[in-house]
Amino acid sequence: MPTISINRDLLFSALGKCYSEEEFDELCFKFGIELDEVTSDKLIILKEQGTERSEGASEEVIYKIDIPANRYDLLCLEGLVQGLQVFLGETGFPPFKVIPSQTVPQRLIVKSSTCSIRPYAVAAVLRNIHFDQNTFNSFIDLQDKLHQNLCRKRSLVAIGTHDLDTVQGPFYYEALSPDSIKFQPLNQTKEFTASQLMDLYATDSHLRHYLPIIKDSPVYPVIKDSNGVVLSMPPIINGEHSKITLKTRNVFIECTATDLTKASIVLDTLVCMFSRYCQDQFTVEICEIETSQGGIKNYPILKTRQEKIDVNKINRMVGINEQADKVADLLTRMCLTATVAGNGCLSVTIPPTRHDIIHACDVYEDVAIAFGYNNIEKTLPSTNTIAAQFPLNKLSDQLRDQLAQAGFTEALTFSLCSKEDISDKLRKPLSSIPAVHVSNPKTLEFQVARSTLLPGLLKTIAANRKLPLPLKFFEVSDVVLKDKQRDVGARNCRKLCLVYYNKSPGFELVHGLLDRLMQLLEIPLDPTGTTGYSLKACDDATFFPGRCAHVVFAGATVGVLGVLHPEVVTSFDLNLPCSALELNVEPFL
Amino acid sequence: MAIAHGEKILKYLEENGKANSLRLSELWNEDHQKIVGTVKSLLCLGDVIEAELHSTVKWDLTEEGKQVTTHGSHEAQVYNAIPPSGSTQTEIMTQASILNAGFTKDMAKVGFSKAMSLGWIAVDKSSGAPKFIQKVSSIQDVVQEHLKELASGKNMLTNELRTEYKKRKLIQEIIVKSYEMKPGSSFSTSVTKQETDLTPEMITSGSWKTKEFKAYNLNALGTPVPRGHLHPLMKVRAEFRQIFLEMGFTEMPTNNYVESSFWNFDALFQPQQHPARDAHDTFFLADPATASDIPTDYMERVKNVHSHGGYGSQGYGYDWKVEEAKKNLLRTHTTAVSARMLYALAQGGFKPAKYFSIDRVFRNETLDATHLAEFHQIEGVIADYGLTLGNLIGVLYEFFRKLGIEKLRFKPAYNPYTEPSMEIFSYHPGLKKWVEIGNSGIFRPEMLLPMGLPEDVSVLAWGLSLERPTMIKYGYDNIRDLVGPKVNMQMVADNPLCRLDKHRGTEIKEPDYLQELDIRMDSILTRLRGIENEVSKLKKKDKGSPEKLTLVIEADPNYPPLSVQTLIRILMASRNAPVSVTIHQHSSLKKACSADLMQWAKSTISNVSRVDNLFNLTWIWKPVGPRPVAKVVNHYNGDICGETAVARLLARILESWTDCAFYENYDLNTTAEIDDWLDMWENCIQSGDPNFVVLINHIYNRLNCSDGRKWLTGVLPGTKSLADVFLSTVLGHKLNSDRAKEWLSRCNSF
Repeated sequence: MPTISINRDLLFSALGKCYSEEEFDELCFKFGIELDEVTSDKLIILKEQGTERSEGASEEVIYKIDIPANRYDLLCLEGLVQGLQVFLGETGFPPFKVIPSQTVPQRLIVKSSTCSIRPYAVAAVLRNIHFDQNTFNSFIDLQDKLHQNLCRKRSLVAIGTHDLDTVQGPFYYEALSPDSIKFQPLNQTKEFTASQLMDLYATDSHLRHYLPIIKDSPVYPVIKDSNGVVLSMPPIINGEHSKITLKTRNVFIECTATDLTKASIVLDTLVCMFSRYCQDQFTVEICEIETSQGGIKNYPILKTRQEKIDVNKINRMVGINEQADKVADLLTRMCLTATVAGNGCLSVTIPPTRHDIIHACDVYEDVAIAFGYNNIEKTLPSTNTIAAQFPLNKLSDQLRDQLAQAGFTEALTFSLCSKEDISDKLRKPLSSIPAVHVSNPKTLEFQVARSTLLPGLLKTIAANRKLPLPLKFFEVSDVVLKDKQRDVGARNCRKLCLVYYNKSPGFELVHGLLDRLMQLLEIPLDPTGTTGYSLKACDDATFFPGRCAHVVFAGATVGVLGVLHPEVVTSFDLNLPCSALELNVEPFL
Repeated sequence: MAIAHGEKILKYLEENGKANSLRLSELWNEDHQKIVGTVKSLLCLGDVIEAELHSTVKWDLTEEGKQVTTHGSHEAQVYNAIPPSGSTQTEIMTQASILNAGFTKDMAKVGFSKAMSLGWIAVDKSSGAPKFIQKVSSIQDVVQEHLKELASGKNMLTNELRTEYKKRKLIQEIIVKSYEMKPGSSFSTSVTKQETDLTPEMITSGSWKTKEFKAYNLNALGTPVPRGHLHPLMKVRAEFRQIFLEMGFTEMPTNNYVESSFWNFDALFQPQQHPARDAHDTFFLADPATASDIPTDYMERVKNVHSHGGYGSQGYGYDWKVEEAKKNLLRTHTTAVSARMLYALAQGGFKPAKYFSIDRVFRNETLDATHLAEFHQIEGVIADYGLTLGNLIGVLYEFFRKLGIEKLRFKPAYNPYTEPSMEIFSYHPGLKKWVEIGNSGIFRPEMLLPMGLPEDVSVLAWGLSLERPTMIKYGYDNIRDLVGPKVNMQMVADNPLCRLDKHRGTEIKEPDYLQELDIRMDSILTRLRGIENEVSKLKKKDKGSPEKLTLVIEADPNYPPLSVQTLIRILMASRNAPVSVTIHQHSSLKKACSADLMQWAKSTISNVSRVDNLFNLTWIWKPVGPRPVAKVVNHYNGDICGETAVARLLARILESWTDCAFYENYDLNTTAEIDDWLDMWENCIQSGDPNFVVLINHIYNRLNCSDGRKWLTGVLPGTKSLADVFLSTVLGHKLNSDRAKEWLSRCNSF
């Protein structure tokens, strides 16, 4: 969920009303955003860098507000204020308009060389705009927020904004070899080649994260004007030459992308939020995009969609009973201007700022929000069903109860562990274990899914050595094993594991508990091993030689018990004898 | 032995009636501790004796002190070891230790310095090596005498001496505990040995009948019972499971941690570029890296709805890739299982269903005190025709009620696979704030329709973590104290039963005063509304043609009752009939009234004869003080005293003449509010408390501030009422006449 920082006083002055913190928090809650933190520049610096650095920093109150991930239209002060004012019924929703150019429309020519790296580009012009310091900052911040969220850290879309009066169209978007791109990037005093820039920014705390998007490509994307002036090298950096300032009057916006839909959404969002500062408010000048296939497309699209929505359906979905005109009012308050269209339908206008509305159900939700979630009458569904437990869970729970009654205490350990835990430490080669391997663990603790419950219990003993002996722990839980029969190539297996740790191994005790479990499961001892259960001596590297047996049930091995090998004991930082039983629960279902 | 002693003590008690353990120890020349032991064992016999413990402080000799009593003080020992001819220090030391083997070097050091300072000995350097000689021929060893006295039980030492000897470690303070005894209620002089416990032999022989048994110490703890335990988190899980089962939910088979991206994300209409699908957030698998088998038709429908839309959706408009869908991962939510269940439900011919699960899910998160890479998710799902958001809210209330959570509220939220989506907040009485406790929503059609579910089927779902409520329930602030191999198993052993609907610890349920007040308020309001109806009925009945009114008011020119004057002006203006006002001044006035006072109502005097007028007022300025008096001719018995009373009267008249709401024509709440203000104003006028001036100033400023409140009563911005008119008088009395005039001009416009 993105968080935006908004200067409180600017916000309230734009809203035309002062709120107490509680009032504003309440308003946010109803609207579906969250006042996350109230702070100031000074407090932030104080927290991060200490008292000294915070001297002299601004003490103006900043509201940090959490915005739902799909509401790109609320990511800046302008959008937030508009959304809230419409929600409060204080203002209507402005009509956004694409206007033709007074002269020749700006054109961006996309070369086919970009296909291999970043194939799409869109553009628009904001004409006769007037920034002040606050709106300028907001413009930059919004680009940053869009980059972080909708643009997926610039990988899907990258935005470049330029002072149109410093460059000369038409513009060319192409992909060139890194060494043939040379320009003075933003906030640098000299020219660099693209390769040099990669080195320069490798240590830049902000930009280095974007380098991998193009670094290994043989060609890098670049936008130039008709005189060869570099506007930007997306998605990394703009050129210094066309940099926008407070004095900029005409802004050329380009978005390059690997996802055309998102590029168009980003462009729409940006121009809708800031066209209010144009002389001709809420208008944006068209740009022509010559695609790599040669066709011409006009941007921004700023499409306003009309949807017919059945009022009954809305009422049914939300669980309210409102007249069509009331529902239309509710929707209008959510920036979805609606009118009663007859036949029990509403005609709902979906503006270009609400790209999150992709289905009627999104409209239903906005009705519910405007109505107030907490004003909806609580009702119980009439759905009548008979409950059932998952049999394996039921059996597991019954066994857990019995183990606790037998004096063992339940441990709850992690499903993930290190490779070492299930192999070396248990004296078994990793290759012999059908374990599931994680490809991107952040630490060694999460390399594999456990194939046995034993390591977790031994670690639990290690952490509890100070408790009085004997230590008797158990766990009934799932391990994960590779299994080609399954669609995902792996399955869970429900295991029961218990350990006994004392000055003497206590094999007979663990053995006795196995007998007890079998008695509870009504399985007789049957040394022939055909119907009941039996123990068969076996060699298992984890256990002490001659002190280990397989549990055989109905002809198949379902578990193992024995005295742990001293090397296993010591590899888990233990020093006393320990016996263990691990049993597969599933055959006993 | 103990018994023999015991009987001896009991005998003594019989003879003497009381005894003290210390006294007995001296008397019998027996170690005191032994006597005390015997007393204690006598006490165990029940009420044979009563004993009270006494502590006394006593000074006693130390070992060193005892030596002094036999061999003399250190200085005396040094003196005595010096031969008449004198000798060296070493020789003296040797001699002294011959005289007393226990004489140490340290003692000698003290002895030398004390003997020197007492002038008993001196150093003679005349013959080269320094020699000590006796300086006096005889000495009196006072220290030894003192200590001997102390040892013999006399304690004549002065405080100074006591301090000095204590410093010299010759004496010490000891605390002596002794018992003061007397016979108890079941006193007897013979002692029988008490048995500690019943034995098999006693049962066989029947000897238990004659034995006496030692009482148990019921204040001590019992012996810990060897036992096993279930894990607290699993106990909470059992409770949740029980709740779902009680509500008719069927448990889903969630025993598959490994899931394909398809079921975990794509089937849920979560786009392939969604941040949750980042390696930063999700554990992907290296082996087995991909899933092999995804239902082909279904996958095609999912692909279409993502890339092009359909089912009434615009879709996400991106290039959906099967490779991405096949990537295996550790499931990030149990909703992946719900998706499989719903798909299966659609394939087998849809029937309404309620499902739940509580199982592990995995997130590749940075670990901290509240986040682990794996946790338990609780999920509930209801699929049926025509379900509503109101249904979801209703079910959530019932579900959380079973957990002992009554107060909920819902916040709009975003989730890729639910729409509408709601975050669930509950009020935490311990933390005194709203905390998020779960997420909920209705599954999107883009998720359900490609599965093949009927179009009018809705699916409600909610989820929460198991760990969080458990941490809150048992007061953990670090999740690693609860889950994982590092958990202290003693915690598991000590953990109480899980009764989620029973409040304990930080969750102590406060009696809901607010709710009680609400209920009381509601019943009062209902009654008031009844009364209000009756009153208004009566009023209507009462309203005939306006009656004639003749009024005489006496007021003090030093306390002009501005509110009364204003009301009269309003009354006159409200009557489209002739009125007459005459103003007089009483002869008792010391100073003549100003023209202003004499003419305040003159402009409205009519020329018509009083007999025909509907309203006649005689106003007399008279030194009556701040409480004006009104008399209604032919109407009311008795005078009406005080400005508020007069104002109320005039307001009632005004309301009976016109339909305007001014005082009692308002609803009861407002009327009550007006009465409150009037009472306060009355207090204020009569009181000399300077705080009232501050208060009035404040109120006046508030009313003139731009934030919206214009009048004292009613909802913002308020409605003009009697209380406001009366404020003018208060302003006049307490602040200044300018303020009062300003305010009056605002009140005058009716």
